[in-house]
Formats: sequence, structure tokens, C-alpha cells
Amino acid sequence: MTKFAGTIPWLGLIAAILIVAAFDASFLRPMTLIGLFSDSATLFLMALGMTWVIYIGSIDLSLQAVAAVSSVILALLIPQYGMVAIAVALVAGVLFGLVSGFVHGVLKLPSFIATLAVGGIAATAALALSGERSIQIDATPRTDSLSWAIGRTLDIPNEIWVSLIVLALAMVIEQMTPFGKAMKALGSGEPAARIAGIRIQRTKLIVFMFAGLFAALSGVVLAGRLSSGSPTIANEFLLPAIAAVVLGGTSLAGGSGGVLRTLVGTLLIVVARTGMTFIGINALAQQIVFGLVLIAAVSLSAGRAQKGIMK
Amino acid sequence: MTVTRLRLASVMPLLVLAGLCVAISIAEPRFLSIDNLIRIAAASAAPLVLALGATFVILMGSIDLSVEGSMAFASAILAACVANANGAGLDLGLAALPLVIAAAALFGALIGVIHTYLRVPSFMASLGMGFVGLGIATIMLGGERVGIVDESIRALALTRILNLPISIYVATFMLALAWVIQNHTRIGRRMLALGGAEQLVVASGVNVRHVRILVFAIAGAFFGVGAVLASARLGASSALVGSGQLFTAISAVVVGGTALTGGSGGVLATLLGVLIVMVLNNGMVILGLPTFVQQGVLGIMIIIAVLLNQPIRGLAVAK
Repeated sequence: MTKFAGTIPWLGLIAAILIVAAFDASFLRPMTLIGLFSDSATLFLMALGMTWVIYIGSIDLSLQAVAAVSSVILALLIPQYGMVAIAVALVAGVLFGLVSGFVHGVLKLPSFIATLAVGGIAATAALALSGERSIQIDATPRTDSLSWAIGRTLDIPNEIWVSLIVLALAMVIEQMTPFGKAMKALGSGEPAARIAGIRIQRTKLIVFMFAGLFAALSGVVLAGRLSSGSPTIANEFLLPAIAAVVLGGTSLAGGSGGVLRTLVGTLLIVVARTGMTFIGINALAQQIVFGLVLIAAVSLSAGRAQKGIMK
Repeated sequence: MTVTRLRLASVMPLLVLAGLCVAISIAEPRFLSIDNLIRIAAASAAPLVLALGATFVILMGSIDLSVEGSMAFASAILAACVANANGAGLDLGLAALPLVIAAAALFGALIGVIHTYLRVPSFMASLGMGFVGLGIATIMLGGERVGIVDESIRALALTRILNLPISIYVATFMLALAWVIQNHTRIGRRMLALGGAEQLVVASGVNVRHVRILVFAIAGAFFGVGAVLASARLGASSALVGSGQLFTAISAVVVGGTALTGGSGGVLATLLGVLIVMVLNNGMVILGLPTFVQQGVLGIMIIIAVLLNQPIRGLAVAK
């Protein structure tokens, strides 16, 4: 069963694409699919950060606020500082991740409350920095500094290239580094990992810092696409990002799954969303489906969870 | 060490509240005017009822992140049952309230069933169902804000008895009810026991699943009442009626001194927590500070409060 568990989301994805194509054959055109995948890049980047957090058995509810802060920082600094603004925006994301990781890992608060609180702080920072409004990014700085994210290379949108490069890096980190092994150990069982000599606190800190980094990158790309930074830019992202991770097959109980699965999960979400829009289901009403799918995916994958943590 | 921490933790909310009141009234004496105090009380009504519901769930060691979605759902049911601006409501008047509260309790019970029988962690079950509630409300209301024209519902926020809006009396009644549930009913004791030592409750033959489902249902009923108060204040039903209330409710519970690990704290602590949050909010307004700063301040207060309330070594595994 576990042998095939990894392929179920892929089969689901193919089935979903075929179902949507049955309603509208033009959906299968390469350009439509490519457009769809480039639109999902920002969601994918945020879901990537969420993946490792869930992989170690935690949750991060602050990521949409973190993405918003970095979009605002980017929009504020980019006219004067160009590429440096991107670096600052990403560093800000890492710092918020560091705070979440510290509060959760070192101060030992449950991750949902730690990140709920840090999310509140990040949201305040975004509102304060932006003066509660959306900040335009003019065409010149946008083309000068953000073309790597929003242009096209080899006739494929750069969002896709960025996603693939980040995915490749994340896979290397996850599969081939001691940190990756430490994450797996931590997710499989914290007491055992501690006895095995894994440095729990450091691993948690790094995981949350990566989550902040990926969320910030998501905010930067989003700001590039929308030509603005705003404190509410990523408001509809949290549920789809968690759903993408869980639907891809990363278990909330921790220890199984990974970033490649999140790619499938994200594509599933995006195809499902497109399908529902075709049928004419309102974007907000789609939350019913995602909410139920989330619960279903968790309940199906939670079989191996110890009872102790099912609070 | 632990003893001092606990003692500090139980007095802390009172000190924070007193400190806030003193600091704000020194900076701006208008804070202590009767009108302003009534304003704080009126603004606290809905958040208090919501936080009381959340308190029950947190007391048994779970969490309910569905506050906003449950409110949206209840608010949409309310709009369907009373005279509304679309002219499509059933016009039941106050008879709509039992229906709304029952529907909200069912919604909460459903979260409990998903949590216990499908073994989904409560934060995930309630997060998912919260979004489901938002979606249902969006469909029922056609994605719009539907005005509530029923006089008896509007009166909850508008009519005053002894110069106090009815919503304050409703909130006080709910506080008393919550206190009785917590201290003088079987479900209240089991809820506290569950948060303190789940294994012992299981060993003594209690059906833990039923207790959890019932507590989620009670919390849902409280969210329903909170949604009615919030809709009455807004004069409309909307899927966004609970916007921001999750953060307020959870921070009020936690800042008031109820431990997230369950078993300690309670409804009176939550009253203090709500007052801290609302006084802070009011103080920022009358001092001319932007209200969004509140979220950041509360974020920091949540972290400090949880730290003070948790046993140092108890959470070796903090998921």
C-alpha cells in the first residue's frame, strides 16, 4: 500500500486533467497548460515552504502574512535599490521564519499558536510599512530587476523556470544533505530523533527559516506579476498551500512526503480550481471543496499517527 | 520555580489589564468617561461570547480555528430566517435564534465528529471546516452583504436598557451560562479532566469521543450567538462577519491565562483576556494610534502568555 501511495496523487492529477479536458478540449493545448502552471508558481513556492514544516509535524499559519511583508518591502525599495530590494525582501522572510522557529522550537510553543502570533506581527509590519495601501511598482524597475521572474525564456514563462530551479534545489537539500535526514528523523518521531543525536532546535529553526524564505520568494514573484506590493496580496493562499502539501501526500503526522509531492499537490489544486471555474463555481465557494478535500486527505493519511498528538 | 510561575501566571492578566487602564487613562483621561466604558463593553459583547466558546475547546486541550467560518455559516442562516434586504428571509423574528444556534451547534458537532472519528487533528479539522463554513455562507448569501431589516434582531445592538445595549446583557448571560457549564455540569468537569489527564478519563470509562463532540457542539452554539451579536451590530449578514475574530478570540483566551495544553484556566480568565484585548483596541483608537498595531502587540502578548502558562518540561514534544 505504502509503495503505491506516492503514485496516487499523480494518477489523480492525470484523471483531473482528463475530466476538465472532457468539458473543454482546448484545456489540453500546451499553451493553456503552461499558462496554468505559471499562474500556480506563486502558490507552489509558498507550498514548498509549508512542505518541510508539515514534514516535521508542525504547521505554519504565518506564511501569507510573510509573503505580504516581503511584497511590500520589495515595492518600497525597488525604485531606489533595484536587485538589492529583492535580497532585503527575502532576508525579511527568513527573519520572520527565524522568529517562528525560535518561538516554536526553542520556547516550545505549539507551532500553530506560535505562527498565528508571528503572523499577527508580520501582518502588522506589512500594514505599517505600506500605510495600509497597495504600492505600485513602475514599469522600469519591474523590467530591470524582476524580469527573471516574470519574463519568458525559451518561450516558457520564467515563473516556471524559477519554480523548477527552486524545486531542484529543495530536492537536493531534502534528499542529499544531513539536514534533510535530520528533518526526516524529526518528523518520524521527535523523542527518537533526540536520542539519535539530532539537534532538534537547530533543525526546527532552519525549517522555519526556509519556510519564510520560500514564502518571501512567493511574495516577490507575486509582486512582480501584479506590479504592486500590498499587505493583503497573499490573503487567499494559506488554505490552498496547506491543501497542496497534504493532497500531494505529505503526512501531517510527519516523516513522510516531500517537495516533489507538493508539486503534484499544487498542480492538482490548480487543475481542480480551473475545472470548478469552468463549471461556474464561485472562487470563494470553492473553499468548501478545498476544506473538505483537506480533511479527507488528512484523515486518509493520518492512519499511522500516534494517538498522543491527535489533539 | 513552577509554583511561582503559576502564581505569576494567574495574577498576570489582572495586572496587565489594570496597567493598561492606568496607562491609557493617564495619557487620555477621556478613556474613563462613562460613555467610553460603555463603548468598550458593547464592543466586547460578541468577542466575549466567541472567546467563551473557544475556551471550552482549549480547556480540553484541542483548538478550534473555525471561529470565522462558523460565524459566517451562522450569520447566513440568520439572514435566511429573518426579514432581510433581499426580501427572501423567512421573517421568523426572534424565533430564528434557536434555529441559528442549533445550526451552529450542529456545525460544531460535525467538526468534533471529524476530529474524533476520522482522527484528524483538531486544528486541521476546524481549519478545513472553517473554510467550508465560509464557502457555504458565500453561496447562501450570493457572495454579498445582505442587510438585516428585522427590528427585533437589530434591537440587540441598538436598543438600550438602563443605557446599556441589549448585547451586553446577552453577553453577561452567556458568561454566566458558560460558568455554570464549566463548574456545575458533568460535561464541564469531563472537559477539564480531558485537558488535564486524558488517559485517566479514558481509564474511568468515559466515552471521550462523545465528550469531545459535545464540547465542539457547545463551542459552535457560542459561535452562533456571537455571530448573531456581530450581525446585529453590523446590521447585515456577510460571509466576512467574523473577519479577524479568530485572532481576537484565541488571543483573548490565551492572554487571559487558559493554558493551551488544556485543563487549567477557564471562563473568568477569558473575561479578563477579552477585556485586555478590547481595552487595548479602544486605547489605540482614542490615543490616535492605527488599530492594526493591535495585531502585532497581541501577537507578542500571545507568545508571552503561552510561555507563562505552560509547564517548563511538560511539552517535550511540541507539535
